[in-house]
Amino acid sequence: MQPRERFIAALERRPITGLVPHFELVFFLTMEAFGKVHPSHRYYSQWGQMEEQERELHRHDMADIYIATAERYGHSAIFIHPNPDEVDETIRTIDIIREKTGDRYFIMRHGDATFSIPDGTQMFGFAERLADDPDGLKREAQQMVDAAIRRAERYAKHGGLDGFALCADYCFNTGPFLSPRHFAEFITPYLAQITKAYRELGFYVIKHTDGNIMPIIDQLVSTGPHALHSLDPQANVDIAEVKRRYGDQLCLIGNVNCAMLDTGTPEDIAESVRYALRSGMPGGGYIFSTSNCIYTGMPLASYEVMLDVWRREGVYA
Amino acid sequence: MPDLDLDQLYFAIVDGNAKAAAAVTQEAVAADVDPQLLLTDYMIPAMDEVGAKFEANECFVPELLISARAMKASMEVIRPLLLGKAVEPAGRVVVATVQGDLHDIGKNLVATMLEGGGFQIVDIGTDVSPDKLADAVATHQPQLIALSALLTTTLPSMKRMIDRLAADGLRGGVKVMIGGAPVTQDFADEIGADGYSDNAAGAVNLARQLMAAAA
Repeated sequence: MQPRERFIAALERRPITGLVPHFELVFFLTMEAFGKVHPSHRYYSQWGQMEEQERELHRHDMADIYIATAERYGHSAIFIHPNPDEVDETIRTIDIIREKTGDRYFIMRHGDATFSIPDGTQMFGFAERLADDPDGLKREAQQMVDAAIRRAERYAKHGGLDGFALCADYCFNTGPFLSPRHFAEFITPYLAQITKAYRELGFYVIKHTDGNIMPIIDQLVSTGPHALHSLDPQANVDIAEVKRRYGDQLCLIGNVNCAMLDTGTPEDIAESVRYALRSGMPGGGYIFSTSNCIYTGMPLASYEVMLDVWRREGVYA
Repeated sequence: MPDLDLDQLYFAIVDGNAKAAAAVTQEAVAADVDPQLLLTDYMIPAMDEVGAKFEANECFVPELLISARAMKASMEVIRPLLLGKAVEPAGRVVVATVQGDLHDIGKNLVATMLEGGGFQIVDIGTDVSPDKLADAVATHQPQLIALSALLTTTLPSMKRMIDRLAADGLRGGVKVMIGGAPVTQDFADEIGADGYSDNAAGAVNLARQLMAAAA
């Protein structure tokens, strides 16, 4: 089986043999690993001014980074972050990766269109709208969903894209930003709509959110994603508990503790990896990953420790 | 003031009803109720109640912010009256997100709650360098500093900031409280911070404790 097929099998909770599939939402340490600036860290202010030939060279350079990351670190999926983030550029990036690797990798991109936790400057305004203009907020939520579905229809028509990662963050370490009641009113219906539409277009859907999701996890699962990503132990999300409660409904992804990767010893990292594997793997439906991503500032050596344990112990009989 | 029920002010803030909070405050002021009493006996206790509910997961960030808006609406009414009364804030706090970290949600929440608790806030932003913090401390002479970090990778900045304050001779005059997703009490102890809170409401209680200890 190709990595892509194994990844899909895990998303569909079908049994597989060999290594449990692995990917990361982002691997930012491309300068350290490959001597290349990560595509998301590039500022193409003169993109439109470039000759097409030059743009194409940049596209290939970025695609090569994604492919090199997948090959070196054993990722089964490539999560592209098109830069510039436009539909046509996304399609061209997908085509380049497919030209170079065929159907070897599962390819996904961002696809969320629900309200995430607003940043500090927007937070007060959002709270005011929630209190003063709930209908307007719902209209905006619907417009965001409709626009995302229109874009997805273009991707579906073109082909090559396998799925979407829905990366709106809803939770702090202590719990959700919105109360479960507000979440049910302003997020869940729209998340369900977009997930259903993506699935009907033939895409796989991975829902990511940081933080303590337990107060809203029933709602998240009810929207019907193929997988739930992050399962952050720093927010006291216990993958064993999530597996027990929802393992028959969706695939689980993540749970390796990023704090351990940042500041822990190799033994700490190995312990977190083993817990994630031991809890997630039984019965299939698990994809190995950190509880966030390989972000800027994380020691690359720690990620390599994590992968060493995975290669030795993340194996289905 | 025969029909004036000041508890309505308390509940208007708890419920996040800014119009009612302002209206009751105006009625109270018109009836010559001491604005200092409104602040200390009704408004701040109301925000304390909201903070307690937040800590107990009985209310969430948007509700907390809407209560803060109601408190602010009430404050707008009494602020001009307090100006002539030499009312001291509960303390002056410089708040910042540390160098390398652009996240401002936690910082802003803590600032909002501290303000609701009667503290004067000097918000010096995100990605704040030790130099900028030292300048702010020298300029504003706060009793407290509240530092926030979301990223594990930016935690070392907290220690650098405390070290800079010590090197510049500014550490003795201020208490430093820290918070943020990766922060723990052990880390606070390790870097010599004076206190740690894992949430914005708890930060108000911590600030009061630190002020009391310094008195």
